[in-house]
Amino acid sequence: MITAERLRYRTIAIDNLRIEPGITSVIGPNGSGKTTLLKLLAGIAVPESGTILVNGVPPRNTEVGWVNEFPDRNILFGSAFEEIASPLRFRHSPCAEIEDRVGLCMQSVGITNLRTRPMQDLSGGEKVLVALAAALVFRPQVLVLDEYDSHLDGNRAREIARIIRKSRIPYVIHCTQDAEAAVSGDSVIFLEDGKVRYAGTPGTVFASLAGTVYYPLSWRCRA
Amino acid sequence: MKVSLAGVRAVRGDWSLSAEGTFGEGIHLVSGDVGSGKSTLALLLAGLFPQISGTVEREGIATTMIAFQFPEFHVTGPDLERECMAWGVDPAPVLAAAGLTGRMEEDPLNLSRGELKRLILACMLARDHDLLILDEPFSSLDCTEKERLCTTLSGRKRGITIIFTHEQTHLPRINRIWEIAGGMLSDRGQLPSALGHWDHAPAVVKNLIARGKIPANISQADLLEAACRT
Repeated sequence: MITAERLRYRTIAIDNLRIEPGITSVIGPNGSGKTTLLKLLAGIAVPESGTILVNGVPPRNTEVGWVNEFPDRNILFGSAFEEIASPLRFRHSPCAEIEDRVGLCMQSVGITNLRTRPMQDLSGGEKVLVALAAALVFRPQVLVLDEYDSHLDGNRAREIARIIRKSRIPYVIHCTQDAEAAVSGDSVIFLEDGKVRYAGTPGTVFASLAGTVYYPLSWRCRA
Repeated sequence: MKVSLAGVRAVRGDWSLSAEGTFGEGIHLVSGDVGSGKSTLALLLAGLFPQISGTVEREGIATTMIAFQFPEFHVTGPDLERECMAWGVDPAPVLAAAGLTGRMEEDPLNLSRGELKRLILACMLARDHDLLILDEPFSSLDCTEKERLCTTLSGRKRGITIIFTHEQTHLPRINRIWEIAGGMLSDRGQLPSALGHWDHAPAVVKNLIARGKIPANISQADLLEAACRT
């Protein structure tokens, strides 16, 4: 379980939050602290006070995959292959293993055609797919994704969600503005002004958001 | 006022896009898969990407504006006030419209991505443009802001608006749908007849059509009207 207690960092003020294994969607208005919370969960930021723990250890002491909301800020290397291989190379994995795992990962995400393409020539969505592959390739304990889906077409976003589900990564926490995507996860956290306003299953959280723009359109259209 | 593409072909490495058709006054929506060429076409329509063959004719268009997919590419000012001034707009009302009142001295690149998107769109939409090209304008915006943008775009009384987007839920009423697939731009036609052969239609639209409830358009109000129709 991921736990946050008396967590304070910039605008974030969360007294008690528990995240069960599975896929958790973080939603809320712009500026509500979604990205800041994700950075804390990924260990990119460290709390000013309070604790955040993944199975009892700080995020920096566990394996975390991260995809930034700014696609260009994910890029360190020149080609898609180099980018996806980098987490394995930083871990000194054998070259043959790197070749195999990167190939399989690119195939799984559907980007084998990007293998030698320069990163700077990729579209926004393609950059996100490469970043996602780089985050998946080393099979992290925690996968933190900041609005990766806003750069993907509907079909591709659903396919990627299926791949993530199948990957069996213990904790997937993704920020999204797509209520339909949040509905398909295991739990939802609704942030407002740096605080958790609602947390729970999609059914309970969206029941609390009925009548707001955050309520899934597909549920409104079921009538 | 119109933009006409005749036999246009654009090339990037071993990838190419062919485009033919006329974008008249009103709101156009262009959809397509990741990497299909939406951003390339957006740049081409704005005159920022060269075609290797064919012609792009702009008739009656005095001003063109393009919103890039990545709002950070637009930033030139060191703080919000000077960013607004760089766009030639009055900072106070524009920052108010973007929900950023009181933050004039902040660095635009320290804003959240949603806030930065709001800022750039507010600067852009504070002035009128004959040809307005928006590449993924809804990405990173929260649901409230997406609806607000839909209202603003629907309120444009004149000019050509071309929206390139993956957005599935919050869309304005539009006049025409286009799709890019297999390296080719296709005109799906006017609403609502275009909905029946719109491959990238949101799941909600496809479900409504499957139930025989064809919406008049694709705004939330239109979809709810169709869903509740007896």
